[in-house]
Amino acid sequence: MERKHFFKNGLAALGLMALAPLANSCKKDSEELSGTTTGTGTGTSTGTGTGTTTGSCTVSPTETEGPFPTKTPSSLVTGDIRSDRTGVPFTIKITINNQSNSCAALSGAIVDIWHCDKDGNYSEYGGTGMQSTNYTSVHFLRGRQTTDSSGLVQFTSIFPGWYSGRAPHIHVHVYNASGKSLLVTQIAFPTDVCNTVYTTATNYYTKGKQDTSNASDNVFSDSLATELATVTGSVSAGYTLTHVVTVAA
Amino acid sequence: MMQNTLIRLCYRKVINNQATKPWEQYVFEDTYKEFLLQVQFYNQEKIYTSFGELVAQAPAAEQLHFLVSAAAVGYIKQLQGKVPDIANSLGRLFLPFENFRFEIINSDIRDRSKHQVAINFYTDQLVWHETIGYQLLVSVPGKQEGDETFTELFSLQPYLSIYSIKKL
Repeated sequence: MERKHFFKNGLAALGLMALAPLANSCKKDSEELSGTTTGTGTGTSTGTGTGTTTGSCTVSPTETEGPFPTKTPSSLVTGDIRSDRTGVPFTIKITINNQSNSCAALSGAIVDIWHCDKDGNYSEYGGTGMQSTNYTSVHFLRGRQTTDSSGLVQFTSIFPGWYSGRAPHIHVHVYNASGKSLLVTQIAFPTDVCNTVYTTATNYYTKGKQDTSNASDNVFSDSLATELATVTGSVSAGYTLTHVVTVAA
Repeated sequence: MMQNTLIRLCYRKVINNQATKPWEQYVFEDTYKEFLLQVQFYNQEKIYTSFGELVAQAPAAEQLHFLVSAAAVGYIKQLQGKVPDIANSLGRLFLPFENFRFEIINSDIRDRSKHQVAINFYTDQLVWHETIGYQLLVSVPGKQEGDETFTELFSLQPYLSIYSIKKL
């Protein structure tokens, strides 16, 4: 999958020169909105009321007003990020500290997280630009919360699975209150917990143990000490992850 | 007669800074705000200002179409499953949809007026019964009483196309 490859290669991918298949189809007709109807019918409509179609133009909606739009936050803004995904219950608690303020808790920071589902898949658009997605479940296992006065955000999720070439992980992007990016990082999992989940909760997780250890993971191998989370709990009761991320705000 | 043809339509609604309706303005504002947040992940050196340049240099930024769509989903839900703008010949909205695809056409981190997006609405399957002049006579599956099928008549128009076809 595109996204997996991207993360596998890390930010090195950003430097790649490549011809992007930029949605040409999008660009082409975006500037020619009006007056291009090509109705060729010969039917002569005899109605005289307004709204009668006469061959080269179309009817505008004539309905009772509504539904009335209301300002709505991004669908990422949710504490329960499970959507339609299943797996071992999982609570994620991340505390953000500010190195620039004696490592005190940073309140009001925006924290985005995302991780894969039990089978190792991320929510994303698949395939070509022709594919569509059901709007009710498109952003599973992605969420955004704002840190409270103790720097904490909390998410309800499912224990992530794994995909080939990477150790299990959660992506985290921290912004300050005005939306400026402060840090992009990842959180690693203790291997013993992963082994337990992947070999006993086999009603969900069907691939067995992960194929990449933290030590051989190309993201965590040089920085595991600060990226390894504490994970407690059990398969039956669910697990809770706690981790501290330090930013310079 | 085309009794046995199922079609799905695609309506591509383009939204730019000329939007006048509140729904469109909300989508414009909120997707631009979300773009400014999410683009930082792909543009950490802040080398590029336009979406076009960014995608050309960092193809992974194509993911922004999907990521930014999160800001539009709440508004799409407010449409209550009816494709906007496209009326039948009686002037009523009638096209049911569950699927969509959001795209960023253009944007720029320094120039809000360059922000332009599109929401593609993919309708559910419709039975295409007949073409009358330049209008299509279709019915939404299940809309019938006994052996009487209720139909919808509408015209093809700019930005509305037949997305898929299935002969039964």
